Amino acid sequence: MLGLRKRIWTPRPVKSSYDAVIIGGGLHGLATAYFLARDHGITNVAVIEKRFIGFGGSGRNTAIVRANQRTQENLPLYKEALDLWPVLTRELDFNLMFHNCGNLNLAHGEAALKAMRLQVSSARFLGIDSRLLDPKECKDLVPALDISQRPRYPITGGMYHPPGGIVRHDAVVWGLAKGCSRRGVHIHQGTEVTGIGFERGKVAWVDTDRGKIRTPRVLNAAGGYSAGIASRLMGLRLPISVLTIQAMVTQPLKPLLHHVISSGAYHCYANQTLKGEIVTGAHMDPWPNFTTQTTAAYIKHQAEFVTEFLPCLKGAKFMRIWGGLADMTPDMAPIIDGHVPAEGCFIDCGWGYFGFKSSTVTGRYMARYMATGECPEILEPFALKRFQEHRLMGETAALVDYSANN
Amino acid sequence: MAFTITCPICGPRSGYEFRYGGEDKGPRPDPAQMTPEAWCDYVHMTDSRPGVQKEWWYHRAGCGTWFTIYRDTTTNLEVAPDSPETVA
Ligand SMILES: Cc1cc2nc3c(=O)[nH]c(=O)nc-3n(C[C@H](O)[C@H](O)[C@H](O)COP(=O)(O)OP(=O)(O)OC[C@H]3O[C@@H](n4cnc5c(N)ncnc54)[C@H](O)[C@@H]3O)c2cc1C
Ligand SMILES: [Zn+2]
Repeated sequence: MLGLRKRIWTPRPVKSSYDAVIIGGGLHGLATAYFLARDHGITNVAVIEKRFIGFGGSGRNTAIVRANQRTQENLPLYKEALDLWPVLTRELDFNLMFHNCGNLNLAHGEAALKAMRLQVSSARFLGIDSRLLDPKECKDLVPALDISQRPRYPITGGMYHPPGGIVRHDAVVWGLAKGCSRRGVHIHQGTEVTGIGFERGKVAWVDTDRGKIRTPRVLNAAGGYSAGIASRLMGLRLPISVLTIQAMVTQPLKPLLHHVISSGAYHCYANQTLKGEIVTGAHMDPWPNFTTQTTAAYIKHQAEFVTEFLPCLKGAKFMRIWGGLADMTPDMAPIIDGHVPAEGCFIDCGWGYFGFKSSTVTGRYMARYMATGECPEILEPFALKRFQEHRLMGETAALVDYSANN
Repeated sequence: MAFTITCPICGPRSGYEFRYGGEDKGPRPDPAQMTPEAWCDYVHMTDSRPGVQKEWWYHRAGCGTWFTIYRDTTTNLEVAPDSPETVA
């Protein structure tokens, strides 16, 4: 009756050719496959996943969604993404547990407030609900906040974004897998792409550890591994550094936090799950690595910093800690492109720690790009050539750089 | 696992004393023959392949030396320069 024994998606044998092959069974790959089938009738599609779906960032993120980014190129994409959660919940017939509790981002200084004022105005200009709060209003929203002068960086205000919140990340993976499978897409777990073949300037096949698959379209959506796949298998170097990003949860506590709160100065964020655990992230040791190792230095950092503005959490015990990969670009904006380095090759990567909230909408536009061969206007600003043309995006106030140049 | 880096002056020290300085990209491109592609590649692009890479580090909280090491990015362990894995 509860359907416990029924699989939500069905494994299929690997065919020798597909109309599109997607490398990576993360949310970007699954969403693209889903929309290829739903919007463009391209159902002869394979999602090739080295381990299992959701093994990468898609199953490890802290599930925060919001649309109050900084730049006019990024804002519309994230707004559409936010509007899509209730639609997909219905359409996939799968509870994605969208909890639009709102996000409160704290400012700890005049400069931060000024930057927020600009960010709030940009969002509002594009019809996104975003508000500037003074410390008293922040405290009204989150009574547990310490707005006194005691912390090293006292709170000077905040940016409140009511429509954002939390979505259950695993549910999105499973829901999209279900949607894909129903529409005929093949999902091949435990299958690694080991080569990409070209014929007459076009992509022609992928090699996998389960054989060669011919295809006229390949999407590299391998998350933390996408830059390595690009340089090793596509002959395309990308401006990406891959770092391990860590997050953790406390023991369950009484309800005390009803919003996602974040602080740039303290470099951490926290929200309380419906079970009562405080989920808090995120930290990256500042050197590229693929370890997904967690570190003692981070646990100490997080305990010290989150209790600066939420002192009531002092003494709460951390229960679990984990790490995943973040593919960071210098301007904190993704790289989405097509027909590079050859016709039929597509890339969707460099999402850093923003790739959950954007996954479904990007998949929808990526599918259109792959089906028609024409780049949808909303994706144009994310092309790789922006780095050569010095048109980096201002998603971060200062460039993020893990190279020798700063 | 603790992460250590071996500074040529100070010896093995905690990784947090150092600043990562990027993949080793060889010499800076010659300005006389510079193209936008070559400059962009030198400034921004990386290989980002899991495995052993030659890379720059700066002993920021120490002697201030810049130097290169080989490190396996899948384990965070240094690899001796003469080991077979360092040959790309
Ligand atoms: C701790 C943490 C917290 C985060 N918090 C947030 C957040 O709150 N909000 C937000 O928006 N984002 C967040 N992110 C970022 C987000 O999780 C990622 O950007 C997003 O999941 C990327 O999705 P993806 O589909 O591109 O890649 P992934 O989910 O990483 O999927 C890529 C897949 O490709 C597979 N693969 C790799 N190589 C191959 C190969 N050769 N052949 C076949 N398959 C291969 C991998 O196994 C993997 O399953 C967080 C990330 C982490 C790690
Ligand atoms: Zn030194």
